[in-house]
Amino acid sequence: MIGKIIAIFDISVEIVLETNQIKVGDILEVENNPNYRFEVVEINNTTAICISLDSTRGLKKGTPVKLVSHGINIEYSDKILGRVFNSYGEPIDKQELTSVQKRVVDNETTSLKDLNIESEILWTGIKVIDFFAPLQKGFKMGLLGGAGVGKTVLIKEIIHNVYASQNSNAVFTGIGERSREGQELYSEMKKSNLLDKMSMVYGQMGDNPVSRSKSVYAGLTLSEYLRDEKKQDVLLFIDNIYRFIQAKAEIATELKQILIGNGYPSDMASEMSKIEERINSNQNGSITSVQAIYIPADDLNDESVQTIMSYMDGQIVLDRKVAELGIYPAIDVFNSTSKLINIEKIGERHYNLVEQVLKTLARYNELEEIITVLGIEELSEEDKGIFYRARKLRNYFSQPMFVAEPYTGLKGQFVKIEDILVDIENILSGKYDDIDESKFLFIGKYNGQQ
Amino acid sequence: MNNEIKDSIDTAIDSIKDNNNVYPTGRVTKVNKYNVEVTGLNDVSFYEAISIDNKASGYVMGIYANKIIVSLIEKKEEIIPGDIVYALKKEFKCSFSIDSIGKVIDIFGNDLIAGKKFDKLTDIRIENKTTPIMDRTNVNEELLTGISGIDLMYPIGKGQRQLIIGDKKTGKTQIALDTIVNQKGKKVICIYVAIGKTKKEVKDIYFELTKRGASSYTIIVASFNDELPTRTYLTPYVATSIAESFMLQKYNVLVVFDDLKKHADVYREISLNSHKTPGRDAYPSDIFYTHSRLLEKGAKHVCGGSITMLPIVETKSGDITDYISTNIISICDGQLVLSAKNFAKGEKPAIDYGLSVSRLGGNVQTDDMKKVGSKLRRELLSYLEVREVYELANIDEMSKELQKKLKDGQEMLNKLKQYKFSPRTKEEMKNDFAFIFNKENVEETNNNQQNNIVEQANEIKEESQKEE
Repeated sequence: MIGKIIAIFDISVEIVLETNQIKVGDILEVENNPNYRFEVVEINNTTAICISLDSTRGLKKGTPVKLVSHGINIEYSDKILGRVFNSYGEPIDKQELTSVQKRVVDNETTSLKDLNIESEILWTGIKVIDFFAPLQKGFKMGLLGGAGVGKTVLIKEIIHNVYASQNSNAVFTGIGERSREGQELYSEMKKSNLLDKMSMVYGQMGDNPVSRSKSVYAGLTLSEYLRDEKKQDVLLFIDNIYRFIQAKAEIATELKQILIGNGYPSDMASEMSKIEERINSNQNGSITSVQAIYIPADDLNDESVQTIMSYMDGQIVLDRKVAELGIYPAIDVFNSTSKLINIEKIGERHYNLVEQVLKTLARYNELEEIITVLGIEELSEEDKGIFYRARKLRNYFSQPMFVAEPYTGLKGQFVKIEDILVDIENILSGKYDDIDESKFLFIGKYNGQQ
Repeated sequence: MNNEIKDSIDTAIDSIKDNNNVYPTGRVTKVNKYNVEVTGLNDVSFYEAISIDNKASGYVMGIYANKIIVSLIEKKEEIIPGDIVYALKKEFKCSFSIDSIGKVIDIFGNDLIAGKKFDKLTDIRIENKTTPIMDRTNVNEELLTGISGIDLMYPIGKGQRQLIIGDKKTGKTQIALDTIVNQKGKKVICIYVAIGKTKKEVKDIYFELTKRGASSYTIIVASFNDELPTRTYLTPYVATSIAESFMLQKYNVLVVFDDLKKHADVYREISLNSHKTPGRDAYPSDIFYTHSRLLEKGAKHVCGGSITMLPIVETKSGDITDYISTNIISICDGQLVLSAKNFAKGEKPAIDYGLSVSRLGGNVQTDDMKKVGSKLRRELLSYLEVREVYELANIDEMSKELQKKLKDGQEMLNKLKQYKFSPRTKEEMKNDFAFIFNKENVEETNNNQQNNIVEQANEIKEESQKEE
């Protein structure tokens, strides 16, 4: 026994210590009852403030607690493959796990010396991503969107296209998202025999904030195992990193810390850096991560969203107005980009096309306003051309997705970058002016259809 | 007679027990509305049931080194410092009776229409752990609402959480009631949860449902706006616990929460009253968790039972991007957005087909419905996108293709109109929209001229303007 509980709240307890051997980060447990576990977050002389990993219901004052470990320990061996864990590294897929080796979930961030930033482009087969915001091995790609505009569908399509076609390992980390989706992803992966190279961690939205704030560390540790021990290129999918900050805010409120605007914790930026700076490539292998970022109240300027975005190498922003038109993926092309949009990386042709497309679509937005007032006949011939081509482009950037087949009834399409560039060149040059715009909606490549 | 004697003896024994301190006791030291500070009670557990001198009851919601905080759920009389507090040595639980079906009940097992307690009561926990991921199974079975616009385009599956969101007076509750009535004879237990409603509203809903024969499978769990906010706050959780007990007995359950914006406001009141730091819009930072853990209990269970949830959220001026709305949208499996504009135009149910979403879509439909539904949705959205442009135009001067598109679009909207409580069967729906597959009789327009709908529409619109 190291002490006794003297105060109990929803997700925290206070413990009177009878020893000075306790550190912040230690895991404690009620004696003879492993259902109550705590993590020490603060030590004041003889008392320790702890957050509770599980529910505190039924706890009593005076209950003795013992020390179990210095930090959360999770499996760190090949046994993680094909398995599903909760935030604390316990398997939840109803199968036995015989431990080989365990490791604590905390780790150092990647040092400047070890950091590797050179790598090759990773094509996703998704037109909007490959064209506007191409992905590179070792990149962090943020998928931003408000509620219900299609973040999860897009992340699942990337899993489908990249993980299924690449021979790499993957880790899926669910943070504060739907349990139903967790179950669906698991059963889909199992059905298509793709589970053997993937590990999943879930701290979903029905879990308490402590669980939701911890699942990311478990996911990182599994990725680090695959990178450092198996020397693999790893894909790390995080859905949804915003929920980590949200959970931290709930814990900060409970601990009566002083919060910044909109109720976010003041140490948000440093907590985020401890995570993002671990998601990097080194001499052993790469970690490419795709992170969904929820935009609360559709407010792109939200402080937490901005904090997360500062770590991203690329971003895809999803827009409710586009979704309303029924065009999916509903991306905001003006805010979606990546560090690869650079002549040296993707070449002059691709780069120039991106510039031209953005120019055309920007003009389209202006023209739309003019047309609502004056009608299309008032436009110059040149503007008319831009208007129709822009509408074709807009439609062309929609895409039937493999994982969305049940909703759309349309077969998914994987589109090669070469085909995308040819199609866009043809639309812009006016080669397709005679073809109706509806022919470009929900297709893969166009050039092959003629 | 015998019972009466027994009862009075029981009461006497109880009071002796109380006086003899069979229960640990403490004293009230501070009263803050429905939060009471108590000293002297040391041996209590978190969430233990508490009684204050027959004046009030509640549970332990905070244990400090030298005091405890009790949250009151029922209060008959005002509490004053010094009142004796009893710890009841058991977890705080609510009551439920299986006789509740067809009745309006509260969370303590009272029949509110008859004004008395039910006889056979069982304890019900306020909240259970959410169904674990691996105890869930795919949501793929339809739950029909009888409304074409929903069942075809934004279908609801057993175990799905589908939000109904819209301004005041746009027919949100009506969609939920229609859905309940349409479950007649389908072996679905329906639970309508009134959160902070007026008594008038609840009685109205009770009459509507009874009149339409829905009472044999429906329970109304009501909390009123003049009750303690703590009680209103707990009501949806307890109703969900009731639903869970049915689900585990392999029943399909439909739960309607009317409405969660009210619930969020009640929880904000409680949080601010207990001096929690406010976050965005003064809601506490765990407002997301408040709803996520409630709605995550909606599931299709491996045992065969399910809980389908239809939470309702009220918006202002059609803004679905406010904090609470987006929170709940991000929890649910889809949303039906109701528009005041459509409602005013007489397009009822006033569903905004562009903003509504189902994340499960065709997964929960049978193939025949999926075929019609996915085509209808694509055609309708493309019609709506250009409708505004050619609303003013002269039909006779349009190309045949455009005329048909216009006519079909109008017909689609007409056939989507449905008066309340007039459900359609799947066959009727499929027949209604069979016409969208008739494309053969339209001649291909020549390609020399760009057959761009918007261009034609604009030309025509302009011409008609010139004529004026």
